[in-house]
Amino acid sequence: MKIVVVGNGIAGNCVAFGMRARSRDHEICILSAEKVPEYDPCALPYFIGGDVPHEAVFRKSIQDYRRHDIDLMLDQRVVAIDPRDRRVTTAQGREVPYDKLVLAHGGQLFIPPIEGIRLPGVFNCKQLDAAKQLREHNGRRAVVIGSGAIGIEVAEALHKKGFQVTVIELLDWVLPALFDRETAQRFEAVLADSGVRVLKSEKVLAVEGNGTVSGVVTDKRRIDCDAVVVATGVVPDKSMAATAGVDTERGINVDRHLQTNVADIYACGDCIETVDSCTGEDVMFQLKHNAIDQAAVVVANLAGEPVSYAGAYAFARVHFGRMHAVSFGKSTLSTQCQLGDLKIVERENGPDYLRLILKDNLIVGGQAIGKFADYAGFFMGAMRRGDDFAYLRRSRASVCSLQNHYRWAQRLIGDITGLC
Amino acid sequence: MTKWIVTDPQKCTACHRCEIACAMAHHGSCRPELARIRIHRFENPAYNVPVVCMACEDAPCIKVCPVNARVREVNGSVVTNTNRCIGCRACVYICPVASPAVNPFTGQTMTCDLCMDQEDGPWCVVACRVDGALWIDDGDRCSLQSARAQAGRVRSVLYGAPRVRAHKKGHL
Ligand SMILES: Cc1cc2nc3c(=O)[nH]c(=O)nc-3n(C[C@H](O)[C@H](O)[C@H](O)COP(=O)(O)OP(=O)(O)OC[C@H]3O[C@@H](n4cnc5c(N)ncnc54)[C@H](O)[C@@H]3O)c2cc1C
Repeated sequence: MKIVVVGNGIAGNCVAFGMRARSRDHEICILSAEKVPEYDPCALPYFIGGDVPHEAVFRKSIQDYRRHDIDLMLDQRVVAIDPRDRRVTTAQGREVPYDKLVLAHGGQLFIPPIEGIRLPGVFNCKQLDAAKQLREHNGRRAVVIGSGAIGIEVAEALHKKGFQVTVIELLDWVLPALFDRETAQRFEAVLADSGVRVLKSEKVLAVEGNGTVSGVVTDKRRIDCDAVVVATGVVPDKSMAATAGVDTERGINVDRHLQTNVADIYACGDCIETVDSCTGEDVMFQLKHNAIDQAAVVVANLAGEPVSYAGAYAFARVHFGRMHAVSFGKSTLSTQCQLGDLKIVERENGPDYLRLILKDNLIVGGQAIGKFADYAGFFMGAMRRGDDFAYLRRSRASVCSLQNHYRWAQRLIGDITGLC
Repeated sequence: MTKWIVTDPQKCTACHRCEIACAMAHHGSCRPELARIRIHRFENPAYNVPVVCMACEDAPCIKVCPVNARVREVNGSVVTNTNRCIGCRACVYICPVASPAVNPFTGQTMTCDLCMDQEDGPWCVVACRVDGALWIDDGDRCSLQSARAQAGRVRSVLYGAPRVRAHKKGHL
């Protein structure tokens, strides 16, 4: 059987190497749009900031592919799939036949349609070659468009390199997908203290420059800069999958075995739309741990074991300087249009802050800064188990017994939050 | 894993000898902040829960580390590669019991390596004076699976309990 994997990212490699670990019989081929072995996009901001050296970004070497007898075809961007003849075509003109095809081509940087966005001096941090350019750029003033997790990480990296950094956010607070306003405000205070300028509720209208970037114009002002970083999110490229008639919505649609509607085509990683393991909602989390879990499900199914995917989970840590924070599950915004009894539990102690979101007495999400963040795993555990805090409060005595292995974890949550 | 640490919260007296021994073994210091084992004390009813990395089978800390610094050693333990770790604490936050400790001097995380470099085996076990509170097992008294379960590292905590839920079209 010949297994062809589209995309040499984290999901693609986990599929290829996972499949090889199970069997030596199959022919395995990875088609890569880039020219390097597998690297970790999560490490790129730290590479830009000089926290990790170039070699530490890689998860594989070229020899690893040879040793595992995986045919890595570099610089081959798949543009079309022919499911009838079972072959894919690359932009470079290669045709590669398959028996089973795995789409793991991740997401693409979303580039907002702004005048001047293609000028030299406009960078991004999506792929290694782009990150290298940014690392090598010697400038003084940078504007980061977008204050998501990647925007904040890049801002910190550039701040460390000595840039004067301005972060522009269209919405009303930073990290809007991860944090509620109250949490974000505390984070913003740390950014401001470090000298990073944060402009919220502000829209970038144009990037200016004569040959190279010299400034950014927003609906409120003009900012001088010699570098712009686009960090406005990642969206899956659905056009390639569509050539095979694969169903897509926000991402590629898959069933619980991560198979698409087209026979023998599977998909995993950032390119798929999947379900939240706690709520069952359709989600696009695009996080590394989910890509790894999904790849394992694809491997099992390719090997003939009908394993079902348990769903994805939202989890992200963010930091700036000495402040460490975490977000998991849902934010208040994302619970807004749902039925149910919402309750916010807050705790504050100096710089430490905790915010838990409960729906019908179950934890559905949370955010924490500082010491409280250390307990994130306990809260996530309660969320995943579906601990009912109304019940736990009523049955306080039995909560204390150790018969149940995580009773002590529930007691700890009770001690911190007063929830039970 | 051929050997693992097992603890019993009903027996532990929270004397903290294990913490000091751990800090000594790894850092030559008796500061408990440098220990990779930590005791949570509870009153009423009282018990003390020693928390140590159980090197989960499908360890989530390995998957969330942005610089791939969490690695599984040949002895089965999962440790932080200090040449890589940037101190982001993802491993602390994803752990169901926050078992990774943050080294107060470096900001990097550290977890139990089962004292793989020590001839006498784990120092915490050697230091413990309470029979049955903390020991190293090879399946003789307690299987790895039940040791992990007793320590709260169970599937439902790591990956969510299977629940009836609405699935999108294709998921039915
Ligand atoms: C800067 C940055 C920081 C991040 N930080 C975190 C973090 O801290 N935590 C976290 O959980 N997640 C983080 N992520 C997200 C995480 O990197 C992704 O979820 C993960 O890489 C997804 O893996 P993937 O294999 O699906 O996609 P990718 O790793 O993006 O790999 C897709 C690969 O496919 C290739 N490709 C694309 N199209 C084609 C084609 N047509 N033909 C052939 N090849 C193609 C691409 O070149 C790429 O190499 C971060 C992402 C970025 C960019």
